[in-house]
Amino acid sequence: MIGSDTAVEVRGLVRDFGKVRAVDGLDLEVHEGEIYGFLGPNGAGKSTTVRILVTLLRPSGGWARVAGHDVVRDADAVRRSIGVALQEAAIDPLMTGRELLRMQGALHGLRSAAARERAEALLRRVGLTEAADRRVGGYSGGMRRRLDLALALVHRPAVLFLDEPTTGLDPTSRLALWREVRALNDEGTTVFLTTQYMEEAEQLADRVGIISKGKLVAEGAPDDLKARVGEPTVQVEVADAADAPRARQALAALGTIDPPLEADPARVAVRTRAGAAAIAPIVRVLDEHAIAVESVEVETPTLDDVFLEVTGSHLEGAGQPAAEVAG
Amino acid sequence: MTRDPAREGRVVLALGRRALSVQFRRAQLLMPTFVLPLMLLAVIASGTSAARGLREFPDVASYLGFVVPGTIIQGALLAGLTSGTALAGDIEGGFFDRLLAAPVNRTSLVLGRLAGTLGLALLQSTLFLAIAWIFGARYPGGAGAVLATIALAAITAVAIGGVASAIALRTGSLSLMQSIFPFVFVLLFMAPAFFPRELLVPVLRDAAVYNPLTYVVEAVRGLLQAEPALGDPLAGVVAAVGLALATVALATLALKDRLRRL
Repeated sequence: MIGSDTAVEVRGLVRDFGKVRAVDGLDLEVHEGEIYGFLGPNGAGKSTTVRILVTLLRPSGGWARVAGHDVVRDADAVRRSIGVALQEAAIDPLMTGRELLRMQGALHGLRSAAARERAEALLRRVGLTEAADRRVGGYSGGMRRRLDLALALVHRPAVLFLDEPTTGLDPTSRLALWREVRALNDEGTTVFLTTQYMEEAEQLADRVGIISKGKLVAEGAPDDLKARVGEPTVQVEVADAADAPRARQALAALGTIDPPLEADPARVAVRTRAGAAAIAPIVRVLDEHAIAVESVEVETPTLDDVFLEVTGSHLEGAGQPAAEVAG
Repeated sequence: MTRDPAREGRVVLALGRRALSVQFRRAQLLMPTFVLPLMLLAVIASGTSAARGLREFPDVASYLGFVVPGTIIQGALLAGLTSGTALAGDIEGGFFDRLLAAPVNRTSLVLGRLAGTLGLALLQSTLFLAIAWIFGARYPGGAGAVLATIALAAITAVAIGGVASAIALRTGSLSLMQSIFPFVFVLLFMAPAFFPRELLVPVLRDAAVYNPLTYVVEAVRGLLQAEPALGDPLAGVVAAVGLALATVALATLALKDRLRRL
């Protein structure tokens, strides 16, 4: 039985395309009111999973429930509960933004006046009022994505699926979309977001599921996942390399000290869970020992490090060995 | 599950309105549906009017009035076919997924597309009749015959749209739909669209018996010329409505089959 606070539940989900297994025994749960980031490289199975969850594909095995409804047996109830913005914003370029929103309203059972009113409200929300009567073919990529998001919100869905919503967008448009996703989540909408951008998952998601070759290889809050592969490292460069051994000794109480590097004798590396919060104590201790500091920086493990740890490949260009990507 | 018919009606109307408005914004769809039939009418009316002097040619008020039913049926064929082309474009472009992700009856998606075809055929046949009238065609059957002609044309367009939609749903291929266009002319010339059945070569005359469009075009001719000997209106209605019901069912089945194969 699905938990009352579970928005999406997936068990043993499999999807085959001929001999290719795109989704391979996937299990995951998304809680109501959270932003779940589904992170993985191209071809990992993200979009296939989303298409199953939004009833556009049938699973070959396993089951999935969205908003408490089975995606195969009760597909219509799922469709009433979800908003969908797919990877390639499939918007008829010959229609205007306003026309599309009104049509979407009719598709979700709104009467003409209600659809018109909702369209106006959503156009204002996504900042497209002025462009509302222009054909979508003339919209920029960012405007199309915003319209796509507005279309997904027409019926005030409980669960919103966003499939790579910022792929191909410029940084400003990306930030604007992130703001909107956060605002929606603050209003109570559960968001299932697929992305191949680590930064996007880190910025937006309460929890992240990492998918590789159709399998969920890691899941958790971004900070917890990163903590699994190692603690943040505070890199201190002392002004005089001769002071480095003394510095290591002085800082030993604040974290684990990495062995010295022959190539960089002035560098002292302190691993600590405190991360950036450890900078002030480290500088204070060094000052007390009269050790001059040249620079301090914090290196934090990324979700790519997590991906590398669990799959042996980097997220960008997965499928290639890490060494090849690095090279 | 139980569906609200009023709600599904709104869906069909919204999709029909969209299909129709987009049609007028897409030059490559306007050309075959409006320009091509009128061009062929001009060529036939000026180039083959001598046929009127043949012994088997019926005595009609105007040659243009005799051939315009062919143009109307050609328009209906092309309107129906473009609905399949547009549907294939929606499938290839991903817009159809947006419709599938909505909580609507799957049949409404087919009917919505065909509602646009119906609207297009109504506009198209009205225009063709008006233009032909301006150039001298006369319709002794009067306003009732004109309205019945427009209705028959619209039902025929829906019937062809049903076949085209079924093919589009089966294949999802825009290029395949575009390659089907020449078959429109095969169907058209296998019916007495521009000449009486008696003047067709024996092979075509035999084939015309099995072509439902034969009965529709003859019915339109009989109605417009107020001459039952030219065509039986009832046979035309039966042919058009029967074909429309069959092909809409075919398109609905094709959609259901497509969804099963997802």
